[in-house]
Amino acid sequence: MENYPRLEDLLAVQIQQPHATIVLDCKNLQYIGSIGLGGLIKFSNQSRAQGGELKLVNVPERVYKIITSLGFTRVLQVYQTEDEALASLASPKNCDE
Amino acid sequence: MNESDKIVLQQSADGLSVFTPGHSCYLEQIRALVCAHTRKIGFPEDEVAKIEIAVDEVCSNIIQHAYATGAKWCWPDRPPEIRLNLCMEQDQLIIAITHHGASFDYAADCPDRMDVRLQRLHTDGYGIFIIRKFMDEVGYTSSDATGNTIRLIKYLPTSPSPSP
Repeated sequence: MENYPRLEDLLAVQIQQPHATIVLDCKNLQYIGSIGLGGLIKFSNQSRAQGGELKLVNVPERVYKIITSLGFTRVLQVYQTEDEALASLASPKNCDE
Repeated sequence: MNESDKIVLQQSADGLSVFTPGHSCYLEQIRALVCAHTRKIGFPEDEVAKIEIAVDEVCSNIIQHAYATGAKWCWPDRPPEIRLNLCMEQDQLIIAITHHGASFDYAADCPDRMDVRLQRLHTDGYGIFIIRKFMDEVGYTSSDATGNTIRLIKYLPTSPSPSP
């Protein structure tokens, strides 16, 4: 809730670029709540609407466990590393994997 | 900064009380206090993370909705405040979160299922699901005299039995 507006400002321009792939490095993410998770779905939806994609990388284990147990990894593209995310451009990841 | 802008803590053998202004800038501090206390009690880190997010969702909802401008507060003459009481009763952690903003019954609210909202890529409405999913019990009481209290209960996991 506290930092979400900053992220929204940062992504606002990039997300509107046609066919842009945005890789969001989450290594410093210590916590995410429902507002942040809803925001990631919104950014992902907006990106997809422009023919692009939003990919999350380096999600800390504590946060990853939470978003997995809530089911958000079924609808968000989460990769361990930036290389893995970029490699997926050639072979898109199925979110249900 | 005056007295009403500070977090006030009371720690005792029975538990922890936190009295905080109802503003989002205090959420990070609230989370840190809840995490430290639940770790000290002996909850494993995965459960600490679940309690952290449940408490944060309740407090965020209070700040965003119960204390929204135009909402019908219980005690409109007081500044927005949140009180948290954490205590153990046998093997249960009981977290009571009290505020005097607008009433909202978390326990009775029945939004769509979370998996359906996710499937439809909804961008909001996940808070109450998270609270219910990660806590073992969720209760709610409200009165003009005492304000509104959300009561969260989490059972302390039992220790694994020693190997024979």
